[in-house]
Amino acid sequence: MDTPLREPTFLILTALAREPMHGYAIIGEVAALSDGRLSLRPGTLYGALDRLTDAGLVELDREETVDGRLRRYYRLSPSGDATLAAETERLRRNVEAATARLRARSARPLVLRTAGGLA
Amino acid sequence: MSALERRYRHLLRAYPADYRHDRGDEIVGTYLDLADPRRRWPSPADAADLVRGGLRQRLRAAGATDLIPGVRLAALLALTTAAFLAGFWALVEQNPPPAEAGLPVFGPFTSTGIVAWLTWLVAVALVLVAPGRPTRVAVAGAVLVTGAVLLVSPVAGLPRPPLLVLVPQVALGVLALAVDAHLPLAARTLPTIAATIGGTFAATAGNKLYWGSYRWTSEQLLPAVGAVLLGVALLLAAGLAMRRDWRGSWAAVALLTPIGLLSVHILAGAVDGLSGAPRPTYPTMVGAALAVGLLGPLVLPAAVALHRRRQRDGAGQLRTTPADPCPTCGARR
Repeated sequence: MDTPLREPTFLILTALAREPMHGYAIIGEVAALSDGRLSLRPGTLYGALDRLTDAGLVELDREETVDGRLRRYYRLSPSGDATLAAETERLRRNVEAATARLRARSARPLVLRTAGGLA
Repeated sequence: MSALERRYRHLLRAYPADYRHDRGDEIVGTYLDLADPRRRWPSPADAADLVRGGLRQRLRAAGATDLIPGVRLAALLALTTAAFLAGFWALVEQNPPPAEAGLPVFGPFTSTGIVAWLTWLVAVALVLVAPGRPTRVAVAGAVLVTGAVLLVSPVAGLPRPPLLVLVPQVALGVLALAVDAHLPLAARTLPTIAATIGGTFAATAGNKLYWGSYRWTSEQLLPAVGAVLLGVALLLAAGLAMRRDWRGSWAAVALLTPIGLLSVHILAGAVDGLSGAPRPTYPTMVGAALAVGLLGPLVLPAAVALHRRRQRDGAGQLRTTPADPCPTCGARR
């Protein structure tokens, strides 16, 4: 799977980086990681998990039945771990570059540009 | 089993049977975990999510995962083409036939088509500044206004652009509704550039080209636009296929209906016989447009079915190379 990852994919991999999780827990974790901005629905989540599984980034960890409901736990594969690390590094460099530019901009005195100079 | 669970399971039929058997309990269980215990019916958003997920899974099972990105690519090309035409016709509208010609006009404009072209130009501007839902709403509005111009103008006794112009615009608009909400800026500028080129072309060619009439101009312009769109789609398909990316091929298939409707004058001319310049009869044109409009949308599902058959071996199993992971569990064999 090529980088840059889309935000939902990045957050699903980030959620699974802590521990293996089932679908319901991943939805909650992604919502928490995005401060409630991203609310995945199960149809979307399982489609994404299928694609990530196909790409070898996510693996099935185990199955459990809780209150009569089947729960499958997914974990990050070694390839998923490497992809998440690479994407995180790419984002970190972008953030550092943007932060440095903004810091330099706020430290610089504001210069007014006028079309024909000041009379 | 609760009523809510039964209804979720009913909606789960959008998924292929084997996938439902393998993953149905897990998916329904997650919906139930998320649902308010007092809820008795799935929310419309959940229902749409299930149907969308089922469609994606059916495409994936058919080995056609590139289809949705391909349709999104086709949607961008369709929107760009619609923008070019809207820019062109908006300029044509400002040169109505002279009063001595005795032809009906719509105020200072050639026809009610100006209303449709302006709504299209609003949609084009929104793609640039507000992609996603606002753009889709604006494109849907432009499609509805174009349809209204087509249907209401004759009832109101007002002049409108010919069917030859309005029908392909509606077809382009319907496809453009699938435009990606996360397009990069360069892609979002394409419709604006196309509308500007369309307007500039109409202004440069001047009234001597269209002399206040849609008829002659549309017969010349639309097949040429259809040919360019087909050429671009085929080039994209070939270029992307070299990287084993099948989006372009699906985009070309999705664009067949609007391309056919843009070229309906030529298609009908071929039916009537090509002795000199094609001058097809009106019934032949309507017949050709109906054939393209009805058969064109069937090509995409037929292509998916064909692709699915080619992807499967004699025993009905999905063909995979040794390096391919299992399509369901992802395990490498």
